Amino acid sequence: MNSQVGTLPKSGFPEGLREPPILIGSISPGELDDQVLSHVYRKPPKAWFIAFACTSTALLIGLSMIGYTLAVGIGAWGNNIPVGWAFDIINFVFWVGIGHAGTLISAILLLFRARWRNAISRFSEAMTIFAVMCAGIFPLIHVGRPWLAFFLFPYPNQRGIWPNFRSPLIWDVFAVSTYFSVSLLFWYLGLMPDLASLRDRTLGRVRKFIYSILALGWRGAASHWQHYERAYLIIAGLATGLVLSVHSVVSFDFAVSLVPGWHMTIFPPYFVTGAIFAGFAMVVMALVVVRTTMRLENLITDYHLEVMNKVILTCSCLMGYAYLLEGFTAWYSMNPYIHHTFMQYIAGTYWWAGWTTITCNILIPQLLWFRLVRRSYGGMIFVAVAVTIGMWFERFVIIVSSLHQDFLPSSWHIYKPTIVDYGILLGSFGLFFSLVLLFARVLPVIATTEMKVILPGSQPHPKGGSHA
Amino acid sequence: MPDRGPFSVVGIFDSAQLLMKAIPEIKAKVPTRLESYTPYPIEGIDKLLGLKKSPIGGMVLVMGIIGAIAGIGFELWTSGWDYPLMTAGKPYFSWEAFIPIMFEVTVLFATFTAGLGMLLLLNRLPLFRHPMLRSKSMPLITRNKYALAVEAGGAELDVESVSRIFKESGAESVEVIEQPEPAAPVSPILIANVLGAVVISCILAGFLTYWVTKLFPVSAPMVHMLDQPRLDPQRADSFFKDGFGMRMPVPDTVSHDSMPYLIRNQDYAGDLVNPLPRSEDVLNRGRQAFNNYCAVCHGLLGGGTPSLTAAYGAKSANLVSQKVINLPDGKIYHVIMAGKNAMPAYSADLSENERWAAIHYVRVLQRAMNAKDEDIPK
Repeated sequence: MNSQVGTLPKSGFPEGLREPPILIGSISPGELDDQVLSHVYRKPPKAWFIAFACTSTALLIGLSMIGYTLAVGIGAWGNNIPVGWAFDIINFVFWVGIGHAGTLISAILLLFRARWRNAISRFSEAMTIFAVMCAGIFPLIHVGRPWLAFFLFPYPNQRGIWPNFRSPLIWDVFAVSTYFSVSLLFWYLGLMPDLASLRDRTLGRVRKFIYSILALGWRGAASHWQHYERAYLIIAGLATGLVLSVHSVVSFDFAVSLVPGWHMTIFPPYFVTGAIFAGFAMVVMALVVVRTTMRLENLITDYHLEVMNKVILTCSCLMGYAYLLEGFTAWYSMNPYIHHTFMQYIAGTYWWAGWTTITCNILIPQLLWFRLVRRSYGGMIFVAVAVTIGMWFERFVIIVSSLHQDFLPSSWHIYKPTIVDYGILLGSFGLFFSLVLLFARVLPVIATTEMKVILPGSQPHPKGGSHA
Repeated sequence: MPDRGPFSVVGIFDSAQLLMKAIPEIKAKVPTRLESYTPYPIEGIDKLLGLKKSPIGGMVLVMGIIGAIAGIGFELWTSGWDYPLMTAGKPYFSWEAFIPIMFEVTVLFATFTAGLGMLLLLNRLPLFRHPMLRSKSMPLITRNKYALAVEAGGAELDVESVSRIFKESGAESVEVIEQPEPAAPVSPILIANVLGAVVISCILAGFLTYWVTKLFPVSAPMVHMLDQPRLDPQRADSFFKDGFGMRMPVPDTVSHDSMPYLIRNQDYAGDLVNPLPRSEDVLNRGRQAFNNYCAVCHGLLGGGTPSLTAAYGAKSANLVSQKVINLPDGKIYHVIMAGKNAMPAYSADLSENERWAAIHYVRVLQRAMNAKDEDIPK
């Protein structure tokens, strides 16, 4: 963590280029703990219970719909040949994408030494883990008989055969499960010093016991910090490569096939950008709620939100480029199939989905060019909701619009989702937000240890004086 | 019990600056090991305390390389060697397709080496018995204070003078940490409890395994796949008028790859000639057919199986007897085709070639079971 210590010269930059303060007012490490950690044993406000009631109801609806699917089979869904992938894979790609923002913030921005990430890293890492959990459900139930899903793993078996390692679907199994394990480990390591703080300030016996176990006896020794920081930095570096690989592998599920509209080399960077785009929108939405309801405006400042909105704007422009390139590829390839598929995106049966994607992902985020929008709750929430909807529809367009008219016109089929499809989608949102609410209730939403590192005067120079 | 002396003397400092300033001063005056405890990592403190560079980077590199080799090695072995499978016209060792999983396995090995290696090997955590954890200073350290500990490390610690040195260096307060209580000898009750827990865990694991492997796969909805409208072989079904689930072939149907066999009496079969040569291939094939179909009654060596006779009363022919040796190939062939006494016809089970190959193999058995002295290699 000392890698993010502000080593930028204070002066020497003109006024406009200087980094704005990343916290409002002054706060001492003790006050920081009081502010962030105290909510763990305060009774949550009524709004929390109302929100939890809503999200757990949604979760319950989703669970019952999954139960129904398991009982009668995936014929309960609208999927049918040629649209063999529909809501399940759309939701899988959507949720995996949401997770990518967390790793970007916690790992990539750590390597870039962006100090503002310290305030929001914990929360977005938690969102990563919950989003990947949501994502994992969909391929699992899509296999139809999830109790046999362990066939996907290469274990010595009676049948004497192995998974086909040349298949992008098995790459996906490895990529997503590695991503989940590594994210969980990274999150837990970051959490450990905070758990030690919680252990030492919690009075209730049961809670103290639980936090003591989870903190693993962390005592903040210099000889421990030394290894800890090194390991944390290394994992951040590895997670950076990992996060880029995971959504690339997800895009291989499409790009390695021969379906027109999928078989394109732009898919990996296009998917990774889209993932970060959707993930940041989700983080912005959640952080606005967290900072207002938990009164963390001094730690998660307008500057944080503005920077994230700038990332969203950048990603939006990159997405626009990717969409244009899809059209260009269709035109330049002179391939009638690709051309047909692209025209299906914008003028086919599902033209409304295509235009929702373009409006929500490309046009609406352009509002973020204005500082006023970047700093107003209404503006940024509007854009973030639009991006979330737009990115979901983007996957809908990629999957359903490409598949519903395949090479054989006699097989063409209009896909219509069933109520079970909608129920499971609702349930995944329920699961995600239920976990976020529970997380905000029992664990620190801001990495207090990482925040203490960047407080003024926290890093004295060994030979006198101070960096920050 | 002799006095064990303090484990360490801890000075609490109010700010990181004071701590950093105090470390060199105290290091100069105290010969024993120093350790600092801080709420967050402080840059440069490891150098002041004289800590060695962390070896975690090298560990991660080694394990990452092992992960990469293990990943791609496993993929090449399974897909190209253990069960060579051609997919999409790619070669067995199509290493390009194995890169993504190799990468993921590399990252998995490397990150878990970094995380768990740091925790378990280098930091020796989890450790809940460290004396610092029970000190009054610990809640201050995880909150906002900075501590420096002079550890006894087996030697006697002069608490008075160390405290004075701390005060001189600007410590806010000083706490003496006592040695931890030595672990009590293991009581028989504890052993009994542990053994009981192991036994109960084993029983639970046994039941769980039984449930997972035997009961779970045959409970709903796991068996719904079998629950479908279809005609099972050898089952009655009301769908057809005659009540059979299976259909009979049209009369006079000749099965594929077979010739009609018109001989009705074994006496007339003697003229049939074995069309196959006595090559190694044919004998191997004959052995396989014999072992699969004939050996169950006639025994692997052709001498019959007494247990079968005891159980069912049917006495199987001794194929290596002089009587069968004297039978021409065609008469043996007829028995395979038409059956004899309790033996049913095997014409449906063995193909034309398998029948003749099996007869060759029977001849081999006859020779082997009636071996003469001159057959023994010198």
